[in-house]
Order: sequence, then structure tokens, then C-alpha cells
Amino acid sequence: MRTLGYRCLWFFLALAILVPLYAYFQSNLWSQRAEAREYLEAGYVVPSQFSRILACGYKGLLSDYQFLRILTFYGSRFAEQQQMVDEDWDYFVASIDVITDLDPYFIDPYVLTEGLLTWDAGRIEDANRLLLKGAVANENNWRLWYYLGFNSFYFMKDYVGGAEYLMIASRVPGSPDYLKTLSSRLAFYGGKTKTALLFLKGMLADTDDALLEKRLKTRLLALEGAVLIEEALVQFRDQQGHLPGSLNELVSSGYLHELPVEPYGGDWLFNKDARVFSTSKFTHR
Amino acid sequence: MIGRIWALALVTFKEGLRDRSLYGIFLFALFVLGLNVLVAGFFMRDLGKVTVDMNLSALSFAGLLLVFFIGINLMAKDIDKKTIHLVLSKPFSRGEYIWGKFTGLVMFVGATQLVLLVFSSATVAVVRWMYPNFFAGFSWGIFITAVFFVFLQHVLLCAIVVFFSSLTSSSFISLIFSLASYIVGITLEEVVFYLRTPTANEEVAGAEFLQRSLEVVTWLVPNFAAFDFKLEAAHGLALEFSHLGVTFGYACLYIMLLLILASVIFSRREFN
Repeated sequence: MRTLGYRCLWFFLALAILVPLYAYFQSNLWSQRAEAREYLEAGYVVPSQFSRILACGYKGLLSDYQFLRILTFYGSRFAEQQQMVDEDWDYFVASIDVITDLDPYFIDPYVLTEGLLTWDAGRIEDANRLLLKGAVANENNWRLWYYLGFNSFYFMKDYVGGAEYLMIASRVPGSPDYLKTLSSRLAFYGGKTKTALLFLKGMLADTDDALLEKRLKTRLLALEGAVLIEEALVQFRDQQGHLPGSLNELVSSGYLHELPVEPYGGDWLFNKDARVFSTSKFTHR
Repeated sequence: MIGRIWALALVTFKEGLRDRSLYGIFLFALFVLGLNVLVAGFFMRDLGKVTVDMNLSALSFAGLLLVFFIGINLMAKDIDKKTIHLVLSKPFSRGEYIWGKFTGLVMFVGATQLVLLVFSSATVAVVRWMYPNFFAGFSWGIFITAVFFVFLQHVLLCAIVVFFSSLTSSSFISLIFSLASYIVGITLEEVVFYLRTPTANEEVAGAEFLQRSLEVVTWLVPNFAAFDFKLEAAHGLALEFSHLGVTFGYACLYIMLLLILASVIFSRREFN
């Protein structure tokens, strides 16, 4: 009986020392990990030819995992309000390249490319290269041709190329009817901001992801503001014979009730062709 | 003869079902299938693809664990623990022993895969019910075909396990050789085709020599990657009948040749 009592005593004594010690180390370890992860470094991406071998027959699963990693990477930058630097975008492009080499029919990476690589990174050529890879592999997916059309039109000012991509998109069975109208509109009135507005509305109607949807809505708000000002500018020029000296003149002379809010926090600008821009370039700085 | 093979197969099958590791492997597979329901929501629109990817990968990986941990045990234990003397004292030929063990292994893997398929189909059905808009390209026919070829891959692996067990008396060496054959077989295709590209010729020293050596390996080790239709199932891409037929024939012939070879080697072996 006595030995049993001693054993119990030792047991509880050991627990009384070890458990608090473990609790101390456990909480320290996790807080250290949290600190270490505050700034996730852009990692190295194993090139496609090796990833395909290392996947050991689980290429689809590896592509899903890589995609989740890049989503988490961007998500953590976005949540911590950290600027994506060039190195981060290199990592992003390399990851999407590998993911789409592992599974070229995986559409989500292309959607993410269109959502981030164009507006935020300004890497239109990379975006179009990736999208073209996807569009060729998934000929029956009108969205990828549509994204290519939008990028050519809006960022590259290639209205003819943009209209051609849109024509391809409109010929895909099951594509929305407005693509044909948009394509012909693009061919005639390429340079108008209103065309971009139609594009964005189409994209928004087709987006399910909450993060991308929020970003598109902000962009749509910005472009709606730009279109409103452009229309007032044209009206002013038609009636007065010249463009106003500043945008405030539009308000003071009654062409606009007030200047629309620029959702990215920049200042509205316009050029001699009455096209409206913003100092923010419509991205979060 | 068939009766004796069948009797041995049945004993092997029952012995496999008695293995406790089976529960662990089942739990692992069920965990992955459950995880699938949670993870699917993280993706934007390819939920169907991710679901099929995860399901087929869980089935395939659980099958590999079954073959490598339980299958090798079933095959090599007789030799390792010398119980083979008891078995061979019965009116069995050594060839019948090999075919009987192989049939038992295949029955065991087949039965477990069938149970996992039921759970997996239920998972797909649940995710599909939760997100009906994202399963446009999904087809049960292609999904089941892909599962069948995953099973065929495991049958081939069983034959390899039987072959190596007939060569060595240590289950560990059988495991290492079978595992190595699987890794070579699953990666071989990618390496062979990579070496054929112009970039490989510039970047890899001795690419031509490597290419020729690998040509020899392609005759010896089965191309496991050919049985992988996970991508097609994930995106509902149509499968060509001729493609499936050639893969099926390739597997059957490889298995038969390997088992005949294993029977010959096993017949000449001496047990101490």
C-alpha cells in the first residue's frame, strides 16, 4: 500500500512539473511560429518538368495543393496589408505556371491570374501567356478567351486583337449572348471606358469567389465614376467648344452634381481626348 | 487445380481481413474523404475537379498502403516465419502456391477498394449535392473507369510483390524492391519524355546514354503512369476505348509473364 502511495505521489509530482513546462514551451513555440509566419517569404517553385516527376502519379492533387498555397500566400499579404513586391509576383507567376502544367484543365488558377496579375501586378504579358495556355487547352471555355480579349483591349490597347478573342469566345457553345455585341462594339468604339464597364459587368456576373467579387465591385465603381465624368466632359466640350480647365469646373457649371468618389483614393485626371484616369491607376496602393 | 488455387486464395483473403493495419488504412482513407467535404469550399469554381482528385488519390494511396503493408506481409510471412513448410507439405504444387497467393491478394485488395469506392461515391454525391453548379463535367462512368484502372495498377503491384517474395526470404527486401519498382514505374514516363525534349539534350549531361538505358528499363518495369486516369475523371474528359484496351492488355500480359517467372523461380527454390 505504501509503495502504491509513493508511486502515485511521484506520478502526480512529475505531472505537476512536466505539464506546466510543456504548456510554457507549447505556447512559446506557437507564438514564435506566428511571428515567423507574419511575413511569408516568396518560396522557390520546383520547375514543371521535376514537379511532374515528383508528383508520383498525383499530379492533380499536387496542383490543388500548390493552388491552395498560392491562395494562402496572396491571402496573407492581403490580410496583413503588405505590398506584393516583384519577387512575390515572380513566385506567383512561377506557381501558376507549374500548377497549369500539372493540370492544364484546372480553371481556378487562370481566374486568379486574370484577377490579380493584370490590375495589381501590371504583368499583362505574363497573364496573357498563361491565359493563352489555358485557352488552348480548354478551347470550350469561353471565359479564358474573354479574359484574353479584355486584357488586349484594356491594357494593351489592341482593339482588333481583343475583338478577335471575343469573337472566339462568342462562338463557344453556351457562351453568353452579349459577347457578340461586345465584340462588335469593341471593334468600333475600342477606346471608350464604357466598353470596359460592360466587360467588368460581364466578369462580375460570372464570379463566385468572395475576394475577387469584392475587388471587381470596387473596380466597377471606379469605372462607373470615370464613365460619368467622361460623359459630362463630352457634353461640356460639345456645348462650350472646349474642354474645362479642371474637373471642378464641371461641377460649378452644372454638368455634374458632384465629382464621383474615387474608391481607390486617387485623384481624377483627364486627357485631351476626354478620357478619364486616376492617379491611383485603379489599384490599392 | 483451380480448386486448390481457390482454397489458398480464400485463406490468404481471410488472413488479410484479419490484419489490424486494415482499420488504420481505412480510417486514413475515410479521413481524407471527410476532409474533402471541408476543403472543396476553399476553391473558386473547380470544386468538382478537386473532389474527384482527392477521392481518387485517397483510393489510390490507401490501395498502395494495403499492398505494401498488408500484401507484403501476407506473401512473405509464410517464408519469413517458416510456415511455408506446413503449406508445401499439403498437396500443392509451388506454381499453384504462387497463383493462389496472388489471387488471394487481388481478392483482398479488390474487396477493400470496393468498400472504399462506396464511401468515396458517397463523398462525391454529398459534395455534388452541396455545390450542384460546379459538377458540370462530372461523369460517374469516367469516375468508375478511373477507379477500375487504379485497381488494375494495384493488381500489377500485387504481382510484383509476389515476384519479389518468390526471390527473397526477407519481407523487408521484398518491400524495398516492390516500392522501388513502383516509384520507377510511376515516374518513368515523365523522365523518358523529358529526356526526349530538345531542352533536356542541352541541360542534362549524357542525355542520350540515359535515354537508351531507360529504353531498356521501359521493357522491364511496368509504366504505372499509364493507369492514371485521375485527370480525365476530374474534368470529365472522354476516354478512348482503344487507349483503355491497350492499357488493360498490357497489364494482363505483364502480370501473367511475371507470375510464370515467379512460379519457375519459386519451384527451384530451396527452403532451409
